[in-house]
Amino acid sequence: MTLSRSPSPVPGGGWSSPGLNSGRNSPSNMSGGPVTWESAKMRHHNPNTYPSFSTQNKGFFTRHMRRISSSLPRFNGAYVEKEKLKRQQPWFRRVPLAGRMRSIYGRMGRKLKLTLLLLLFLLLGTIIFYNTPLVYHWRRASFGGGGNKFVIILAANVGGGVMEWKGAREWAIERDSVRNKRKYVARWGYDLEVVDMGTKKKYAHEWRESWEKVDFIRATLRKYPQAEWIWWLDLNTFIMEPSFSLQDHIFNGLESHMYRDINEYNPHNFSHPFTEHYLDAEALSPVGDGKTNSVNMLLSQDCGGFNLGSFFVRRSPWIEQLLDVWWDPVTYEQRHMAWGHKEQDALEQLYSTQPWVRQHIGFLPQRMINSFPPGACNENADSNGNYPPDDTVHYNGNEHDFLVNMAGCEWGRDCWGEMYYYREFSYWLNRNPFELFKEEFLAVIWFKLTGQKVKL
Amino acid sequence: MHFAYPPRKGSNPPPFQPRSSKVPILRPSRLRTILLLVLTVIGCFWFLSGPKKETPYKEHAPSGNPPVVILTVVDPTKYSESYLKSITDNREEYAAKHGYETMTVKLFDYKTNGAPQSWARIIAVRHALSLYPDAKYIWLLDQNAYIMEYSLSLEEQLLDPTKLEGLMIKDQSIVPPDSIIKTFALLKGKNTAFILSQDETGLVTNSFFIKNGDWAKFFIETWLDPLYQSYNFQKAERHALEHIVQWHPTILSKLALVPQRTIASYARNKEDNSYRDGDFVALLVDCTPTGPDSCERQSEHYLQQLRYKSSAANRKS
Repeated sequence: MTLSRSPSPVPGGGWSSPGLNSGRNSPSNMSGGPVTWESAKMRHHNPNTYPSFSTQNKGFFTRHMRRISSSLPRFNGAYVEKEKLKRQQPWFRRVPLAGRMRSIYGRMGRKLKLTLLLLLFLLLGTIIFYNTPLVYHWRRASFGGGGNKFVIILAANVGGGVMEWKGAREWAIERDSVRNKRKYVARWGYDLEVVDMGTKKKYAHEWRESWEKVDFIRATLRKYPQAEWIWWLDLNTFIMEPSFSLQDHIFNGLESHMYRDINEYNPHNFSHPFTEHYLDAEALSPVGDGKTNSVNMLLSQDCGGFNLGSFFVRRSPWIEQLLDVWWDPVTYEQRHMAWGHKEQDALEQLYSTQPWVRQHIGFLPQRMINSFPPGACNENADSNGNYPPDDTVHYNGNEHDFLVNMAGCEWGRDCWGEMYYYREFSYWLNRNPFELFKEEFLAVIWFKLTGQKVKL
Repeated sequence: MHFAYPPRKGSNPPPFQPRSSKVPILRPSRLRTILLLVLTVIGCFWFLSGPKKETPYKEHAPSGNPPVVILTVVDPTKYSESYLKSITDNREEYAAKHGYETMTVKLFDYKTNGAPQSWARIIAVRHALSLYPDAKYIWLLDQNAYIMEYSLSLEEQLLDPTKLEGLMIKDQSIVPPDSIIKTFALLKGKNTAFILSQDETGLVTNSFFIKNGDWAKFFIETWLDPLYQSYNFQKAERHALEHIVQWHPTILSKLALVPQRTIASYARNKEDNSYRDGDFVALLVDCTPTGPDSCERQSEHYLQQLRYKSSAANRKS
């Protein structure tokens, strides 16, 4: 139906066309037959009441309700009995709340006060630490823990299922790895950037596969302008000790953890330092300028040289330059047959020939950020099929190594098996006090008493 | 239980206890409070003071002593001693006039490991950066070149940021005529660190300026990458430079192209970029070590002009 005129805002008011009184559920007065302008006007006897033609004079009660009801007696108990009640109330109802508190407080003993204060502090502390995001924000803030200076990049979806089928195990690895980092980040107030390392045409086209790292690090630096350190992590890694913060574990004591003279551990036999006569003293020194603030990249070496499964870069002009020259078509063209590890070899090449790169790279002991499972970096199994662990390379749970990198597990080892094992082992290492009580006390006693092992 | 009278006190009241401490504030009853307060304050300090923050890295800022080092790489194996002396004298006279320093090294002082020996010139730049950490600029000027205007200082005609900004050619193809990589249009004069010019075929590496600092070392060492040296670029370091400038924006973003005749007029009389009277530098680009077009012979003309200019200047003063 078309409206030639806007309907009245009063519900049920205005014109009598049934479709127009949209404010009501049912059109009233339908029985009155077609209502014309004349008849509608005739019904408006009283301009002060509702301008409706439907609700007036419908019956006795409608007309006289108010008059009848106002003449009836009222029973307001509260009003009538007020005085009486006031006398019957106990004293603490009669005193206002603040006064009541004051009087209770005044009659308390000093010791009780102290105990209550202590309890209050305990309660507050518990609430703050376990039930509010206050700790998170404190750890994150630059005036607190400074967690917003750290961003973790996790390289997920490696290959993206393009070259190989991505089955249930691969999905499970990804889920566990991402969850592990997500929890870690939530605990310490860092940021997590999960990046998609799927095989992409744009990189294949430019022969830049596995140099995506460079683009992702650049994009992350742009996305998190407050970030100072970026931690690159491969997918097959697991943070074994989530209770270690990066600040405590590495950065507050960087001076003592880090070594810059690669001769300390030099599987590649780089000749270090440079000896060219035209270089300056800093470039010729084995430790650069020797200060921690000039280190812009922190990585670890495994048995085969640099390992880029877990490394840190610091926001600086230097890192922009490195990311810029890391991939170069001329060097790639000459070396792509020799560079089996692509960007890792390219970095080693830069390290070996360019003093400006070498001066700003620091190394951490491998087990500090990048422990390997016994299967990696281990050519020869002994007669039992076990791999003897190497103290510089392989994970040691007794010493609470920070992170496991299941490097190379896709070449003949069981990635999911390792991931599952280390996940469970990490849980076991970091059991809470109640679990420890159950498993290390109750279960042991039960075992002594009955000779049965129980799982509680 | 109540007694009618309070218990009887002794008739001799006990004497007053002497104070345990002379200072009233250190009474044993207050000592505990003080100790607690001190502990709280220390705790607050410990809580609020985080681990010692490391100072951010700062690269060494050159003090400007000397402001510019004029670097010349000479080749005494091919050129006569008298000719090379005229070259070094030219540099030294100019440098003495404006308080700059000269650095003259021999081409074969630097090993290039099988790459063309012309790479040694770039190694020499790295050497200059090491030897003069306080120089603001290193100017590499080719051996076969003369500074023709002694009166012009480098600052006033080129290195002053506002002057440089006026000279910079922005949005210009790196390799003429139509390379798609162009110099940045929004680059400020003070943000540049590498000043050079361009002829009709590409970048001119016979005369360029580098601002001393971390960036300069990064740039020169990248340029000197052994894999570039071994790549057989047709024009060795010149093409390597064109390559890295076009592939690496951290280098392009510090590069200022200036009109060629400000720092590198060619000593021929054919094109726009040829030397004209009043130009700052004359580069003898077409000369050969020996023969009819030998550098020594070509240089006579410019040496004569220099002599004429200096005598005119002496007459004026």
